[in-house]
Amino acid sequence: MGLSELAGGFADALTPINLLFALIGVVLGTAVGVLPGIGPAMTVALLLPATYVLEPTSALIMFAGIYYGGMYGGSTTSILLNTPGESSSIMTALEGNKMAKAGRGAAALATAAIGSFVAGTIATLLLALVAPTIVDLAVGITAADYFALTVLAFVAVATILGSSPLRGLAALGVGLYLGLVGTDVLTGQERFTVGVPQLSDGIDVVVVAVGLFAVGEALYVASRLRRGPVEVMAVSGHYLTKQDLRRSWKPWLRGTALGFPFGAMPAGGAEIPTFLSYAAERRLTKHPEEFGKGAIEGVAGPEAANNAAAAGVLVPLLTLGIPTSATAAILLTAFQGYGIQPGPTLLTTESTLVWTLIASLFIGNVMLLVLNLPLAGVWVKVLRIPRPYLYAGILLFASLGCYAVNADPFDLALLLLVGVLGFFMRRYGWPVAPAVVGLILGPIAETNLRRALAISSGDLTVLVDTWFSRIVLFLALAALVVPIVLRVVRGPRSSPEELQEGAPLRHHEPAHVAGDDREGTS
Amino acid sequence: MDPTGGPDRAAEPDRGAPPARNIGELVMAALLGALGLYLILDAASIAVPDSTNAIGPRFFPYLVGGLIVATAVALGVRVYRGDRVAGDESEDVDLDAPTSWRALGIVAAAFLVHALLINVIGWPLAVTLMFGVVAWALGARGIVRPMIAGGITSVVVWIIFVKALNVALPGGTLLEFVTSWF
Repeated sequence: MGLSELAGGFADALTPINLLFALIGVVLGTAVGVLPGIGPAMTVALLLPATYVLEPTSALIMFAGIYYGGMYGGSTTSILLNTPGESSSIMTALEGNKMAKAGRGAAALATAAIGSFVAGTIATLLLALVAPTIVDLAVGITAADYFALTVLAFVAVATILGSSPLRGLAALGVGLYLGLVGTDVLTGQERFTVGVPQLSDGIDVVVVAVGLFAVGEALYVASRLRRGPVEVMAVSGHYLTKQDLRRSWKPWLRGTALGFPFGAMPAGGAEIPTFLSYAAERRLTKHPEEFGKGAIEGVAGPEAANNAAAAGVLVPLLTLGIPTSATAAILLTAFQGYGIQPGPTLLTTESTLVWTLIASLFIGNVMLLVLNLPLAGVWVKVLRIPRPYLYAGILLFASLGCYAVNADPFDLALLLLVGVLGFFMRRYGWPVAPAVVGLILGPIAETNLRRALAISSGDLTVLVDTWFSRIVLFLALAALVVPIVLRVVRGPRSSPEELQEGAPLRHHEPAHVAGDDREGTS
Repeated sequence: MDPTGGPDRAAEPDRGAPPARNIGELVMAALLGALGLYLILDAASIAVPDSTNAIGPRFFPYLVGGLIVATAVALGVRVYRGDRVAGDESEDVDLDAPTSWRALGIVAAAFLVHALLINVIGWPLAVTLMFGVVAWALGARGIVRPMIAGGITSVVVWIIFVKALNVALPGGTLLEFVTSWF
């Protein structure tokens, strides 16, 4: 049903100017994905001012290219550096690293890149197929339903991402607070501006995103810099042998099947599907002896899951206007910058834009596949940038991006303040993404809450008036309570290292000696 | 099921968990609680126009404040009882290294100073100084090479963004004079 529109989207996306912006996006995205310390969320945030000069289609195609490119680049880093980066790359790093050490780095990169391509293409196709259906279901959605959805997104992002649900909620609270600062849209009253005139327009998303991600990361790295030269592993060996291919294609498909639904539900994040994929491949492999020593299935599966989840995140973003990751939240801001509100009506009001965007995702995926395999050597060089220069450069671009918004040094002081906040959040294991989602989704949640309560003249039961809102709020409650209960009953989640050693994916009793209570808990 | 899982994992000390961690996190929880209280108390002073029907601009701040206070209390209790997580993993972070407050302080100070200098000496010069000091604080050899690298980068970036993309960025007297014929 979306296919004829999709064909039209391809016609629009294949114009030279749109192809150019897709190319800029994927190259930039891969570069920032490869570089430690910066990622797609911060890059899109820094480029938000581009929305003033570019037309919406071009800008959004570029941003989507950055988003997809970041996923590809992240896998290169996790395979070639001996340290895990973002949480969704941890599982790729486990086996990918071992493969690179054993002289099979090229094969690891190839299975990751092709797996990303397969997963990205299938997941984007699923996005095109699923989106119109979801819009049909969601078109009669009320303000109360919408508020329920935002609550679910908040809870899911806070409790499912990161290592600790409570710290996720804490970060979410900070983000919601930052979103409250400024002038209330409905009544024009200033809130929490502490008398500072620059704050009456609210705190700019660019300042918060760049502060938390770039400045926070730079300060955190400064406090505990890994000294000595950067060890980048060589890209050696054959790309993919026939046997590698035979062992890879099933994990690619299984990873896609795990990743897409997790991304598409407002459940947040690629972390869980990559864990699940790794555990599944470990169990299904015909070469169990290779796991922990560089099994190609352990790279192919999680990497596909990672990319499929990334594409899945676009489903709630485009059809409901609900972002479930930091990058998606900033993409939402880009839409809003053009006065476009993603949601059930987006596919009808901005049909051409949406289908061009989706078509450009397919094109971007092909570009990424073509770019990544031959350019692996270039990315290795990028990875070798001396760290003092890298982080000084990140701060330089952070300064540029934030100053360009209002041409006011006040923003840079605020940026530093948010960066210090980001430093302490990192230091104590508070995830940063919930804060960004809270900042951007908070005002949307408030508007819908007040709209719903205005219709009911303040009667709170309107929030659970429809079955839709009841179910969604119940899911939110479950997402809040279940991880906490599991933790209390069974201790923390299994760590990546335990998975690599062969422990099944489960919650476990930390004090127990591994092996004695396996049967009952898996 | 695979029985090879090593029992020694559990005995391994937490990486990235220096002894002082707990106090720092308690302070974080306390600050979070203070933020929640501030939201609740300050929300009471938000003016509510007469025309407001049902709920006005105070309701959501109360809600957020309540959420934050509840989270802070729960987090404080958990941390006090010994709950801890490792700091964020990152490619360039050595979780076993002691915290270098000196490097952190220099980087933060350099950034603040550059923010104050932009409107005085122009963005390229201010950011070059910042670049040099930050790279030096992070362990680059010498101060001359970082300054040259920062200088070249900032001037190139300034020319691209100001001359080609029309971004408002003060260039400083000298650079604006030299490039005025563009």
